[in-house]
Amino acid sequence: MTPAGAGPPDPTGTPTGTLASRQAELVAALVADGPPPAGFAPGPLAAARAALLRKRAGEVARHWPLLAAGLGPAWPTTFIDWAAGRPGGGGLRDGWELARALHARAALPPLGAEELAVREAEFHYDGHRTPRRRRFPALGQAGGAIAVQFAGRVRLLRPARP
Amino acid sequence: MNTPYGVGIGWRPEISGFVAELPGLRFVEVIAESVPAAGPPPDGLLELHNRGVTVVPHGVRLSLGGAAPVEPARVAHLAAVAQLLAAPLVSEHIAFVRAGGLEAGHLLPLPRTHEAVDAVCANIARAQADLPVPIALEPIAALFDWPDDELDEAAFLNEILERTGALLLLDVANVYANARNRGTDPVALLDRLPLERVAYLHVAGGAERGGFYHDTHTDPIGREVLELLAELCARHRPPAAMLERDGHYPPAGELRTELDAVAAACGFPVVT
Repeated sequence: MTPAGAGPPDPTGTPTGTLASRQAELVAALVADGPPPAGFAPGPLAAARAALLRKRAGEVARHWPLLAAGLGPAWPTTFIDWAAGRPGGGGLRDGWELARALHARAALPPLGAEELAVREAEFHYDGHRTPRRRRFPALGQAGGAIAVQFAGRVRLLRPARP
Repeated sequence: MNTPYGVGIGWRPEISGFVAELPGLRFVEVIAESVPAAGPPPDGLLELHNRGVTVVPHGVRLSLGGAAPVEPARVAHLAAVAQLLAAPLVSEHIAFVRAGGLEAGHLLPLPRTHEAVDAVCANIARAQADLPVPIALEPIAALFDWPDDELDEAAFLNEILERTGALLLLDVANVYANARNRGTDPVALLDRLPLERVAYLHVAGGAERGGFYHDTHTDPIGREVLELLAELCARHRPPAAMLERDGHYPPAGELRTELDAVAAACGFPVVT
């Protein structure tokens, strides 16, 4: 067994550090705009960063199918522009935050607005923790769409403005 | 409790109807994290299970290759799903998916060092202690290598398999992708892997983008991957091979053609 971080001295200047610190550096560089970790080839790392964003886009689209469909061919770029350098919070939360951000700059498509209104009626999401199902009747509104939740059942009362 | 046999497919909700209508299907894989530990499994999956189709839970978030000890709650979830579905085995990756409090969002490669081998073997042993069934380990497709590498891929994988006694889940598309991106010979790697320990194979499509071959699971299986699959099966055919498709689902006819191509490359009966 090799003790953590106690490899033989490396004359080539290859970076050192424990596996834990090296992994943390690498993930930060890939998803949080962290500094490039020493010794890695930049081209492949950039390809990996882009591939992770595309995988995330796919996961978010599974949680927010109407949002993705509403953006159509612009979906991957819209998500990737927003998500680059922003660590992921899982498909549900990432999509939620993107939908709110698009709503704030009046760029949320009607289908996405309806999906957001329904979600807001169904769950409470504070922007930090996992969304919680609402226990009391609630309204959700976005882009003209209004959804109502009563006893756990959600209905879209009014569609979004086209 | 039947081990995977023949041609299978990764069960996903989006293609549940298509999978339900495959007459010869005997095994599927399901993303373990998508099944609630307390059940019930998704309807389509439950129907397959009740029909006698073997279901293998495939974990993607365990982070066995993380320097930190694997989280017991994640192992417990995988164990519960295995029990819920009466699975003969489970599978996970030789990879890490989080570090320093951040989620990478997908599988990342380990440095091929003795330190990393120690870390991943310790985590596999922790998982094995709490799992009711054997685990098969999948080597991943990596777009980059670590500068720290001390072992080549075959030596790295063999060391992990020997020390843990785990089965191998070999992804032919990953072998192809890594060889193509590194400029190495995929068949040379096959020659050094214990093919008799393969529980089943993964096959998937990919695409060239920006000078790299990406294992996308959203494109059709390429000819080269099918040829490598045939080459592998000619050496030692594992008990089963399955198609992984994770998006951009094509019409049913195209998916059937892909399943038939996998069957033909392996010499398995068609399931369509």
